[in-house]
Amino acid sequence: MPPFAPQTPSQEFSGALPAATSLRDRQRASAQSRRPAAGKRIRAGRALYLTVNIAVLIFLLAPIAIVVVFALNPTPFIQFPPVGVSLRWFQKFFAARDFMHALVFSLEVAMLTTACATLLGGCAALAIARGNLPGARIVLAVMLSPLMLPAILTGLALFQAYVLLDVGRPLWGLVAGHTLVTIPYVVRTTLAVLHNFDLRLEEAARNLGASPGRTFFEVTLPLVKPGVLAGAIFAFIVSFDQFPVSLFLVSPGNETLPITLFNYLKFDLDGTIGAASVVSILLAFLVVLALDRTVGLRAYVKL
Amino acid sequence: MSASIEIAGVSKIYDGGVRAVDTIEIDIRQGEFFSLLGPSGCGKTTTLRIIAGFESPSDGAIRIDGADITHVPAHKRDMGMVFQNYALFPHRTVAENVAFGLRMRGIDKQAIAAKVKAALAMVELSGLEDRRPAQLSGGQQQRVALARAIVIEPRVLLCDEPLGALDKKLRQQMQFELKQLQKTLGLTLVFVTHDQEEALAMSDRIAVMNCGRVEQIGTPVEIYDQPLTRFVADFIGDTNIFRGERVTSDAGPALAAGHGLFLALPASAAGTSLLSVALRPEKISLSSGDTETAAAASGARGTIESTNFLGGAVLYHIALDSGHRVLAQQPNAGAVFVPGRTVKLDWKAADLVVLKD
Amino acid sequence: MTLSPKAMHRRRFLTLGASLGFGALSAPHVARADEPVLNITGWGGKWGDIMSSDIGPAFEKEFNCKLRTDTALPFLPKLQASSRSAPIYDVLHTNSNEQWAAAEMGLVEPKVDPKLVPNLADVYPYAVSDKIVGVSIFTSAIGLGMRTDKGFAGITSWKELWEAKYNGVRGGYVIPVNSLGQAFVMMCGTLFGKGQTDLDAAYAALEKLKPIKLVDFTGAMEKLFLSGEVCLGVIHDSGIYRYDGQNQPIDFVTPGEGVLSLEQVLAITPGSKVKELANAYVNYMLRPEVQKRLAETVWYSPANRNVKLDAKYDARLLTTPEKVAKLIQVDWKWYNAQKDEIDSRVNRIFRA
Repeated sequence: MPPFAPQTPSQEFSGALPAATSLRDRQRASAQSRRPAAGKRIRAGRALYLTVNIAVLIFLLAPIAIVVVFALNPTPFIQFPPVGVSLRWFQKFFAARDFMHALVFSLEVAMLTTACATLLGGCAALAIARGNLPGARIVLAVMLSPLMLPAILTGLALFQAYVLLDVGRPLWGLVAGHTLVTIPYVVRTTLAVLHNFDLRLEEAARNLGASPGRTFFEVTLPLVKPGVLAGAIFAFIVSFDQFPVSLFLVSPGNETLPITLFNYLKFDLDGTIGAASVVSILLAFLVVLALDRTVGLRAYVKL
Repeated sequence: MSASIEIAGVSKIYDGGVRAVDTIEIDIRQGEFFSLLGPSGCGKTTTLRIIAGFESPSDGAIRIDGADITHVPAHKRDMGMVFQNYALFPHRTVAENVAFGLRMRGIDKQAIAAKVKAALAMVELSGLEDRRPAQLSGGQQQRVALARAIVIEPRVLLCDEPLGALDKKLRQQMQFELKQLQKTLGLTLVFVTHDQEEALAMSDRIAVMNCGRVEQIGTPVEIYDQPLTRFVADFIGDTNIFRGERVTSDAGPALAAGHGLFLALPASAAGTSLLSVALRPEKISLSSGDTETAAAASGARGTIESTNFLGGAVLYHIALDSGHRVLAQQPNAGAVFVPGRTVKLDWKAADLVVLKD
Repeated sequence: MTLSPKAMHRRRFLTLGASLGFGALSAPHVARADEPVLNITGWGGKWGDIMSSDIGPAFEKEFNCKLRTDTALPFLPKLQASSRSAPIYDVLHTNSNEQWAAAEMGLVEPKVDPKLVPNLADVYPYAVSDKIVGVSIFTSAIGLGMRTDKGFAGITSWKELWEAKYNGVRGGYVIPVNSLGQAFVMMCGTLFGKGQTDLDAAYAALEKLKPIKLVDFTGAMEKLFLSGEVCLGVIHDSGIYRYDGQNQPIDFVTPGEGVLSLEQVLAITPGSKVKELANAYVNYMLRPEVQKRLAETVWYSPANRNVKLDAKYDARLLTTPEKVAKLIQVDWKWYNAQKDEIDSRVNRIFRA
């Protein structure tokens, strides 16, 4: 029986009326016996609710916990229970030129990607929502299609395109690849805000003397900012963690952190991988936090 | 400062051929409180949006003080507008909302501050400058919207059902305040509403609209007492409408409404053989049917079906002997006819208004 | 490591600022016009370190060129996706199985010309045998790795891997993705059937090998040995010897039946625009001093007969014709042709 199933009325009340006293007795008895039973059921439901939630949280956080243990444990292999705490893998990570180069390069690519994806995705969302474009739905489908396509194919296709164009594997090519797969996030989050946008706010601004351009910067942009920003954060994280698209597009000497980690994994499997993961998790977290604090993720806007 | 508006043969046809507004001719005078009244979908809001410049007319022209502004963009029209749900900028404070239009006009900061202060004082919102719209009540938001629109000293103030979201008591208070403000400032005000009582109470003149067309333009009294069309008579207040053939009796022209009911027509009533006439409920006087005076030409006999006690008046639903159902309203003078009672109805032939269909 | 991380950060951030400022869309790499570029593939890890710090720069200096090394896998799909007439690599360095796949698709030249690569005259026969595309510049020996502290001593045969006492501590590879695992399939055919190509015998043997711990990468196998989760398993000699001097209780066993060879193969792409330089690179990698340096860094057995390694390396690596004779080369051409069938079969065996 599900924990919150409605209680069926007790059978006792529907039968022929017995003597008044005995009915009252039974009512009392039944009320006493029923209430704790219902309470127990609610408590059981709550326990189940908590258990499921905790289980989901553990499932989400356990991999991160394992990575952290791996990063701090001094032995060069995953060992449980850990034999101690050491920062040797962090030292190794920060001392390794390849890793440092990859880390900074990844940040660079992620920042450029975020800028491009936010600008292009934001504009695309505006055009789709407002532009009165013929075939806006098709445009939207095309904008979102990189999400449907396996990213490895996107990477391969871009790689082949660059080879055909004979441009090698430049930084802008990698950024373009990342932008391609991050634009859908910006488009989606911006469109969500634009869908709830009250067009009369823009009319009010126009009526008060704001030119279309000023209306955009004074009213539209501040109000869609939460959506754009949420998309930008997605774009940053997706780019920073991007593996399949980068796989084909990184050029010798300019490899992103996930690619470097993957190649390192093939030859050395020690705590440096864990340390690198911890550092990149923290970095991604810090960037999100910084964006939130500076540009303001928490919207006061209730549209 | 205030301007006159001329709506000259304006039509708005949407894709698919829907005529939202159909060849409208309205002249709004300077300093006039002018209402566009009609049911939803009648084209009144579209007309207002064409005046504001949010929609461009498919045909016709809009002139302000005689100057054609049909193709002037909205932000250069110098009109204030109060929107149905106020459209306050949620990311700005009350003061910033009110200052917006002034800022767009490049006025210096000190002058803006002074004007904002004065405008907020006018709508009695001093002290709430730093609140955000979401922190205000509906009535307060309404005042902010009003202050934001008038602070720019617009040539015309446009109001799109501005009081629709308020409860009745607050609405009446705001009606009064808005009217006062309009008079004090001498504003030309175009007011869109579907509430006929509101329009009658506030307007200098009203245009009653239906299906994209103007049915009648006139003062509230004209609109109420001399409705031109069946739609206007029906839409404004309660009314009794009779339809039938025009006949000539010994006492003059009359309307044969069927089942033996004849209504004496005013001598002026000319026209075709098939007619509709309107008779306002309060123009009918009821008397006890006991006194057997000879049945006048302009009168009938009926039975009270039900009564609505309105406080100052009583509204009776009466079934005439001829089978017609009519409404009659009497001032509350103490005695109330009870349902089932037979009564005699009298009215003056001159109170019958002949309608265009 | 000469740059402190901090200085490194600053320099990189300046670069970042510059690329943001001047537009990342400008041409990314402006090679000096007089300097030809040789595009190669290469490994990371210690191999990559010494290549980028010493051996690569020395080559660049001597041949007045730029060496651009792609260490980001996968090499073959990238080569496959690029144009035949302008391949992204001039010299492909991979294990032998991948070279065979590349050769089958015409992506690399099947043989290296001895006239253009004089050092070819000094290599052991296995390095240019009919089992090799291009030339093998090094080889590792695939044999058995063991823990020395668990009382499992005196191992002499591959067949001991099947003994019940190793249940729970036996290690192998996910065959579809790992060359060592694939080579081991062929070994099973040799051990229990009519030869390398006796797949039925191999399948039967693999079936009996369960329970077994399977990993994707050799690096992971090394860690299983270090942590003691595997006490006897398939591994290459360099994967054990690289822990030399760290007092790890692990050792490499050369079974009596012989060891499988895991060749490091170089091959030149037919469309290369710098063929001369490509041949020079292959020749350079076969030079005794280069071979010695790399061999002593990563514990690979050099292909050049004339290399004289230090005693410690000489004792363990395959440096004499007698020791080289223990090498069993895998027929990768044949294996690649059967790969799909083998993959689906072994997947079934180890899934159950």
